Amino acid sequence: MRFKLIAALCLSLLSLGVAAHNVVGGVYAIGDQIEGEVGFSNGDMATPGTVVNVTDRQGNELARLETDDEGGFTYTATQRIDHLFYANLSSGHILELTLPADELPDSLAAVGSVEVTVDKVAVPSVSTTPIATDRQGLEQMIERAVAKQVVPLRKEIAAYKEKSSLQDIMGGIGYIFGLCGLGIWWRQRQLDKQQTG
Amino acid sequence: MHIVDGALAVPVLAVGAALTVAGVAIGLKKMDYDHLPQVGVLSAVFFIASYIHLPIGFSSVHLILNGLIGLALGWAAFPALLVALFLQAVFFGFGGFLVLGVNTVNIALPAVMVYYLCGMGISSSSPKVAAIWGAIGGAGSIVITTVLVAFSLMLSGEAFLLAAKITFVAHIPVMIVEGFVTAAAVLLIRKVKPEFLNIKERCDAV
Repeated sequence: MRFKLIAALCLSLLSLGVAAHNVVGGVYAIGDQIEGEVGFSNGDMATPGTVVNVTDRQGNELARLETDDEGGFTYTATQRIDHLFYANLSSGHILELTLPADELPDSLAAVGSVEVTVDKVAVPSVSTTPIATDRQGLEQMIERAVAKQVVPLRKEIAAYKEKSSLQDIMGGIGYIFGLCGLGIWWRQRQLDKQQTG
Repeated sequence: MHIVDGALAVPVLAVGAALTVAGVAIGLKKMDYDHLPQVGVLSAVFFIASYIHLPIGFSSVHLILNGLIGLALGWAAFPALLVALFLQAVFFGFGGFLVLGVNTVNIALPAVMVYYLCGMGISSSSPKVAAIWGAIGGAGSIVITTVLVAFSLMLSGEAFLLAAKITFVAHIPVMIVEGFVTAAAVLLIRKVKPEFLNIKERCDAV
């Protein structure tokens, strides 16, 4: 019953939601929190409950998230690795996003490099003074604060990139007419050849 | 309507590309080169149509117009739509390059089908009958396209009925709008420039 209700809801929402637009989205790291959003280029967001799969580079599933009312999702990273996000919005609309490892804070352990993690643990253990822990905390705070300021800008840039300008439209039409001209020229040349030959 | 890169399996992509090559070859062969400017104009119309979003309720749709293009161009719809889809991928990021073949077949094949199914209808001496056939062509091409899209998705592993249902329901507003637009376009072109729809040639053929 519940499934039917959800399916009906999805269908009714989709009925106007997915009419052939581009899928757009982005993932941004704020500290170890990864925030993302999925939607369509016309401003509609993904249907609430759209499944987003989180995997690593090797394809191992890390988590299965669902989008909220505004097409957003959050994931708390536990490892400093590349995170891949995959969402299927039906009708051939799929979205793949990647969050590179270097956008995540250094404090998260990198996987597959045990030596490095040992090193990292070893260094603070040598000088486990209050100053060192303070420093780490401060670093995290700064990282988070900077990310908070930068994420909205990055979202705006991503939206800006999706927008096509008049130049794009004119350019496309120009190409089409140019191709036509080429065809007509070629045709004319052949006709001329026939006449002379 | 544009399937994006990564949604389809490789064999589907290959078959789509092969069909597109065949379609374009037939289109170029059958195309009357005196109609080349017309092919270009309709290609440009399709290129723009996907970019103009008409608001409907809280969302928006965009016209596809493959029915009208099919009625006017016949097999030449293949090269016209291939060029337009390619440029849409370049300039707007619609669809993708790997799926270009599949997308072209999904949009151009219904156009060609409509050309054969409704071509006689729009040449009818009664404007009313012609308009109705135009509407059938406009809406019908979208119906066939949604079925083809669902079919491509099914071959790549998605459940056909679900995919078909979702794509179909999503495009009901487009079908209605396209039906009206194509009917109106047929009526207008019949009066102003009947040779644009090959109406005279068809009548001569009969």
